[in-house]
Amino acid sequence: MTPLLEARSLCKNFGQLRANDDVSFAIFPGEIVGVVGENGAGKSTLVKMLGGALTPDSGEILISGSPVTLHSPADAQRAGISLVHQHFNLIENLTVEENLVLGRPELRHGIIRFKSLRPEFLAVAEDLGTHIAFDARVSTLSVGGRQQVELIRALFHDPRLLILDEPTAVLPPNERDRLLRFIRLLKGRGTATILISHKLDDLYDCCDRAVVMRGGRVVGTSDLLVDERKELIRLIVGAELPPPDTRHGTPGKALVSVKDLVVHRDNGTVAVDRASFDLHAGEIIGLCGVEGNGQTELLQAMAGMRPIQTGEINFAVGTRPMTNADAASLRRIGIAHIPEDRLHYAVVAAFSLTLNFLLRKLSKPRFAAWGLLRRQAAAKATAAAIKHNDVRASGPRARMADLSGGNQQKFVIARELSDDVAVILAGHPTRGLDIRTVVAIRNRLVAERARGVAVLLLSADLSEVWDIADRIMVMARGRLRGPVRIGETTLAEIGHWMTTP
Amino acid sequence: MDVLFITALLAATIRLGMAIGLAAIGEAASERSGVFNIGIEGIMLSGAFVAAWGSVRTGSPWLGVLFAMLIGILLAAIHAFMVLVLRIDQFVSGIGMVIFGLGFSSFAARLTIGAKPTSVHGLASLDFGAISHIPIVGPVLFGQSPLAYIALALAVGTGWVINRTAFGLEIRACGESTAVAETLAIPVKIRQTACILFGGATAGLGGAYLSVVQVDAFVENMVAGRGFLAVACVMLGRRRPVVAFLAALGFGLAEAVQIRMQTIYPDLPYQFLVILPYVAAIAALVLGHSRRRLETV
Amino acid sequence: MSEGMTRVIRVGVVFVVAALIPSLFVLVAGHNPWRVLETLLLYALGPQGWSEVLVHAIPLTLIGLGVAFAFRGGFFNIGADGQLIAGAVLAVFFAPYLDGWGIAGLLVFLILGSLGGAALGALAGYLRAWFGASEIIVTIMLNYVMVQMISYLIRGPMQETSRFWPQSYLIPENCFLPVIVQGTRLHAGLFVALAMVIAFAVIQRRTVLGFKSSVLGANPGAAAYAGFRTKILTVVVMAISGGLAGLAGAVEVGGIYQRLQDNMAEGFGLAGIAIALIARLEAAAIPLAACLFGIFFAGTGALQRELALPFPLVWIIEGAVIFAVAAVQWALPSRKAVA
Repeated sequence: MTPLLEARSLCKNFGQLRANDDVSFAIFPGEIVGVVGENGAGKSTLVKMLGGALTPDSGEILISGSPVTLHSPADAQRAGISLVHQHFNLIENLTVEENLVLGRPELRHGIIRFKSLRPEFLAVAEDLGTHIAFDARVSTLSVGGRQQVELIRALFHDPRLLILDEPTAVLPPNERDRLLRFIRLLKGRGTATILISHKLDDLYDCCDRAVVMRGGRVVGTSDLLVDERKELIRLIVGAELPPPDTRHGTPGKALVSVKDLVVHRDNGTVAVDRASFDLHAGEIIGLCGVEGNGQTELLQAMAGMRPIQTGEINFAVGTRPMTNADAASLRRIGIAHIPEDRLHYAVVAAFSLTLNFLLRKLSKPRFAAWGLLRRQAAAKATAAAIKHNDVRASGPRARMADLSGGNQQKFVIARELSDDVAVILAGHPTRGLDIRTVVAIRNRLVAERARGVAVLLLSADLSEVWDIADRIMVMARGRLRGPVRIGETTLAEIGHWMTTP
Repeated sequence: MDVLFITALLAATIRLGMAIGLAAIGEAASERSGVFNIGIEGIMLSGAFVAAWGSVRTGSPWLGVLFAMLIGILLAAIHAFMVLVLRIDQFVSGIGMVIFGLGFSSFAARLTIGAKPTSVHGLASLDFGAISHIPIVGPVLFGQSPLAYIALALAVGTGWVINRTAFGLEIRACGESTAVAETLAIPVKIRQTACILFGGATAGLGGAYLSVVQVDAFVENMVAGRGFLAVACVMLGRRRPVVAFLAALGFGLAEAVQIRMQTIYPDLPYQFLVILPYVAAIAALVLGHSRRRLETV
Repeated sequence: MSEGMTRVIRVGVVFVVAALIPSLFVLVAGHNPWRVLETLLLYALGPQGWSEVLVHAIPLTLIGLGVAFAFRGGFFNIGADGQLIAGAVLAVFFAPYLDGWGIAGLLVFLILGSLGGAALGALAGYLRAWFGASEIIVTIMLNYVMVQMISYLIRGPMQETSRFWPQSYLIPENCFLPVIVQGTRLHAGLFVALAMVIAFAVIQRRTVLGFKSSVLGANPGAAAYAGFRTKILTVVVMAISGGLAGLAGAVEVGGIYQRLQDNMAEGFGLAGIAIALIARLEAAAIPLAACLFGIFFAGTGALQRELALPFPLVWIIEGAVIFAVAAVQWALPSRKAVA
């Protein structure tokens, strides 16, 4: 049998970086193949080449045995390959149907008559089993809804091969299950799927086999036998992982209590609707939810970065309690904040590490007094912080933008935890980082908990919350459920909470 | 207030708002595609001069208007090259255009048609015969320059193209997210160039309107901030051409009111009236804030 | 071709184009560009011209510093013309009360000028921070408002005593900035400008305020995260920016005009933006860029007198210089960290 698609010795370089090095790959009709590996392993580069979004430097791609050259995603679509990117290619301020038309170059001429296009759109949507308002703006849709728009767009072309780049990373458990069911439905019709994921459960639940990539090369394949799971992890990481820190804390008094908190989004809609909970010393509470349900705003309000409409947040830290305090005061009393959007909030990319260090240290007389900066002291402290926290940088004068994402995150955490802290507000602290950095950051949070620090961990990764949190709470459409002890709930219940407010 | 007064006021509103409105239409299209051009003040000045010069040299104000459009397109092409090819900051290139347009129009005017106001062959108003004598409606709607009707058609037409056609959809996609538009195989730079050039053409027209319709002369720096007011109109109209055009008529009204108040209240220092459109622009931006998202917390 | 070679060629192209644009206009006007350049430079660097270059460079430096300060905070201040007028008006308004205060009077006169400009800049900052009104448009509009205001004041309440000329009364002599080189117009405002250059550099590099404003300019989200009160910071940055333009107004009155009149320092605001941009917002480079523009202003005045070339040529040259310098950034992209 000839493979539906075969890649032979693909190579792709970005400057000095060998993103793909002699990668060969094949998939047969109706097969579901997982591609797995750490960030930077070359998965996205590979599928972008297969989907026509990148052209290989060398090597060839064969479809049904004959070589092809894919210059654009449109070329790939004509050849029966549709690619759904991890970051949706949707335009937020346009409607669903406008986005659907944009995805089909053959419709893009003259006057657009949406009414006559509706039946065709509807047919594909029904096939996918979704009911979507075609005249809704994409910005009003949930993450799952946006993914469905992308899928409809991909299915227009009756693909023989569907490539999904990290499709489950943003989905709540039940929507994830539905997506995986749909992939198996397509398999029944003879459509092949390449599923990129860093979650091993996705592979075990859905794929026929998995291809493991590391450092731009294919390092092995797995038939996904359950008892070889440990070997698979070793194949992905390339070494044994450092052991996870399993120390527990001893829960103490409530350091933060949130009462009937209401917070708005930038556009004035309600993001957090009367939330109440206590965060105690020596515990980690996991805050979960589907993106866009108010968790981000809750964390920002707690960090003093977003106005509070009604309700209060009390901090029983330091010598005197504080209520609804601003970011600068919270910093002073030892509330650390790791923002979820690093480049947008936590660092200034064009600045040196020293200046980035100073960003949150202006209240310390060591670094700023009488309105003047103490740059030498700051440079020394920065050098010490990057050394002790294993931040790979040429020195305190290095430009923040020149650090890798993982090192930037380690820097942010080093900066936040370089003074005595009582509370850590962490927004997706491990998102998008390689597994070793992830383990290091988790271990750091666990170690802080053992010292009696209270941690609020906003995470999209339920298994992470399961591994290190004591309690979990869930936000759906602004309403908060929980917190409950991890041992007293199940993944299924949490998944249900995530989708029903 | 009597009918004659209102008639004259409304007619003047349209006459005085048209130059801003023309420029605002094209700037709205340009911003919709994602390119800001603060330089239309300079392009309008160049258009005003070239129209006056063309009208004096050829004897035909229509040729002057054509030249104004061409110089507008030429200057906009420089902006497009700077912004899209050299990737220079839009604001910087636009400011360069303001300064260059000021220099070009004044320098060339002094060398050709003279620094002092020179009368040029103006563009006559259209004659609709009897209907232009209907009270109020007649003089207001049927007593305007042909350019005013062209402007109205351009505003509605531009809005239609942007909202209803595939070309317009692609333009909106470019303006919302260049990166996504590129992955959707939209020729982003070509679409943006088209919008920038269109913006230059209407800014040139707006300048021409000033010199061959409104004033019948070229005076140095005669645009007097109307290009910047057009940018304000686009902000107020949230990049929608028709709304921006209507906002421009609002500034036309402010101008018409202040001119009339000068005769009604001769004791009031005229300087306090002349600033009315500019103050109105600030007030409109402040009042229009509630629906706009603030960038800073 | 090596990368270095490509850069050299790019920069070369940029400068050729910058020189060609004004040359083209000079040619069309019937003059020899070389001869025009020679006349311009001979005058500007000659025995009469050099002091005029510096006389122009004084207010241009102050305005350029102001524009650069706002830029570093992420704001576009195009209102230097209006702020300059506001500063001059406030200073002249109170000047009669300063008679007999000696050198302290001059100091207060300059401070009043700064306050006038700062008030107008702060207004634009306030409308931006609290109402989201574009500071670009607001500052431009305020320019047109202020031109009318000074026009009213010098024909009304502040007109000179004979009530004939459209100009204000003279300020007392102790508010004059003394001429520092006999036989020229070069006045002590030069020291004011240089002091401000140093102050600008110190504020930007050494102070918490300068650091906060540059964070706000580079990443407003990070400023909020760091706990800066960004709205108030916006007002302060715009006030300082306007204050420097207002100081330029007081310096122009104290050093040159000694009273208010129409068309004072006309067009210096736009030139100030150009100066800030070509100096890449660096304190040390701003006075140099201001001297370059001083050469253009003073030299083009000479061209008008000697060759009857219209003065607006200066704007053509300035426009070409902006395009050229902006294009140099394309030719030589910077990768250095802000330290």
